[in-house]
Amino acid sequence: MTAIAVGIHSVTKRFDEVVAVDDVDLEISDGEFFSLLGPSGCGKTTTLRMVAGLEFPTEGRIDIFGEAMGLKPPNHRPVNTVFQSYALFPHMTVAENVGFGLAMRKVPATEITERVHDAIDLVRLTGMADRRPKQLSGGQQQRVALARALVNRPKVLLLDEPLGALDLKLRQAMQLELKDIQKEVGITFVYVTHDQEEALTMSDRIGVMNEGKLLQVGRSEEIYERPANRFVADFIGETNFLSGRVEESGVVRLAGGQLVRAVTHDPVGTEVTLTLRPEKIHLYLRAGDVAPGMNTLTGTVHRRLYYGDSLYYEIDFGFAHVDARVENAPRQQRFEPGHEVIAAFSAQSAEALAE
Amino acid sequence: MSTPVGTPRLEAASERANRRRGLLLALPSYVYLIVLFAIPLVFVGVYSFASRSRTGKPELADWNLDAVAKLLDSTVLQIAWRSTWLALLNTVLCLLVAYPFAYYIATRRERVRNMLLLLVMIPFWTNFLVRTYAWRVLLDSDGLVTRLGEGLGLWGSMLFSAPAVFLGLLYGFLPFMVLPLYAAIERVDWSLVEAARDLYASGWKAFRRVTLPLTRPGIIAGSILVFIPSLGAYVTPDILGGAKTTLLGNYIVGQFLAARNWPVGSAVSMAILIVMLIATTVYFRSGGRTF
Ligand SMILES: Nc1ncnc2c1ncn2[C@@H]1O[C@H](COP(=O)(O)OP(=O)(O)O)[C@@H](O)[C@H]1O
Ligand SMILES: [Mg+2]
Repeated sequence: MTAIAVGIHSVTKRFDEVVAVDDVDLEISDGEFFSLLGPSGCGKTTTLRMVAGLEFPTEGRIDIFGEAMGLKPPNHRPVNTVFQSYALFPHMTVAENVGFGLAMRKVPATEITERVHDAIDLVRLTGMADRRPKQLSGGQQQRVALARALVNRPKVLLLDEPLGALDLKLRQAMQLELKDIQKEVGITFVYVTHDQEEALTMSDRIGVMNEGKLLQVGRSEEIYERPANRFVADFIGETNFLSGRVEESGVVRLAGGQLVRAVTHDPVGTEVTLTLRPEKIHLYLRAGDVAPGMNTLTGTVHRRLYYGDSLYYEIDFGFAHVDARVENAPRQQRFEPGHEVIAAFSAQSAEALAE
Repeated sequence: MSTPVGTPRLEAASERANRRRGLLLALPSYVYLIVLFAIPLVFVGVYSFASRSRTGKPELADWNLDAVAKLLDSTVLQIAWRSTWLALLNTVLCLLVAYPFAYYIATRRERVRNMLLLLVMIPFWTNFLVRTYAWRVLLDSDGLVTRLGEGLGLWGSMLFSAPAVFLGLLYGFLPFMVLPLYAAIERVDWSLVEAARDLYASGWKAFRRVTLPLTRPGIIAGSILVFIPSLGAYVTPDILGGAKTTLLGNYIVGQFLAARNWPVGSAVSMAILIVMLIATTVYFRSGGRTF
């Protein structure tokens, strides 16, 4: 069993009236790339700051490698932070910024020089050591912030939306780089983001937060394929919601009266919402083309949206509208508004969520 | 023939027009500074080389360097040293008292902050001379401060002593130190201090390595604002120090009024001005750079 790097036990943080973090329990394993994902204002930064020691829990306990942190100040905790705004010291050069933590811990000067040099190489800023933060681009500043934290070889690295200020292309490149660096140095990353795609591609596990509460923790596939509730299903990716009632275990009666097989967790008679991802719905013109064992619903094409790599069809079932995503592949059947179509989906792709 | 839309010539013309508009805004200040500051200063400069009649009246004839040579006189040099030390010491005292206070103000919530700033500025509403005389009452043998010190068994009457002068100067110049320091500390990005703490700096180390360097422009501005007037201070040393020792301020006043020696008074004034100009420039250059 791997060690628990960060243990957050029944932690609540209140700012006067605002409950920023609401009774969160979470254990992050050593060497894990863990993402905290949620909309702006859901308490991600506050959670991270409590681990760093920049904020203290109103209730509950935070452990780092089994040691209770209590009211320990940040300088006595084995973690380092990459701040959202980078927080680089403007009056110091890149090398001085990177060496700051080592100098504070009284590491010998020759060792500082060496380790700073290595860290600057690691984030590929070779030759920039004597520049000031102002003379660097956003992406370069971001790397300095990363090097400044990594050079200390913390047991846990906390990253608060580190790529938030970068443009899309650079962000995607940096995502891969960050992931590689994490594998290379092998330390625990706690990564805060509001970008679900970023969380899905980078993380070993994700914790989804909303309004201070931790709603679900799991691997990317679990979060995406088996959302625990409506908020998670809606926040991660795109989805359709269909209301209904559990008819028997594994069967749901939709609001339009049709029976479909789905993944159910609740007793017979429970009002549920089916979540159905657009790309899980296949469209056919003839019932004979549908693979056996699939759920089918008949509707008409209401609208078609062209996205380049895919097309979205809005299908009207009478009792509900759903979006179906179809790859823009060669020889793929096109449908026109007004066409009557059969929408097919597997039982596994429809998750029944209690309200 | 069509007119080209953008040409270097048109661009230059528009820039010239912009500069002219800018000059218009600055015109009142220019007039004020030239009439009330630059021209009188030229007079002072000119008088440094003037001669005196037998009655002591300055005469704009027989130009000479006698007054300038007087600058190297040991009495004048001694007075200059004494004043410099006094001003330096006062500047350091002001800095030591003002920094924690400005830090305190800058880190309060907005309402408290505005209240405290107002309190710092309120003394300006009363004339400086009146306030200095008020200190004289407080420091007198039956004054409040004296009786407090005697009650505690710590001090007696300080009036007409060096501590009284420093107390008066500290009191008089403190706001000039507090305000620029406040402005500098208020602008500090606290996430930088948090970053320092996160990188293993203790509270004190974070202050030394981050807050202090970031507020250096405020320290420099405040020091200059206190040092320069302290150097020429003569009201406070006169009233609270009992005019026992001569400082540059009293010396210049004495030359102009009592001794009726305008050339020497002018020469000393000009010398202070030139030295200050050089010192300030060097000081600003050393720390005024922005990041
Ligand atoms: N220092 C503070 N004082 C008062 N409220 C705060 C403070 N810090 C955060 N909050 C509040 O706590 C909630 C969570 O904030 P935060 O953790 O920054 O969210 P996120 O990082 O997920 O966007 C927000 O409602 C925010 O306004
Ligand atoms: Mg945040």
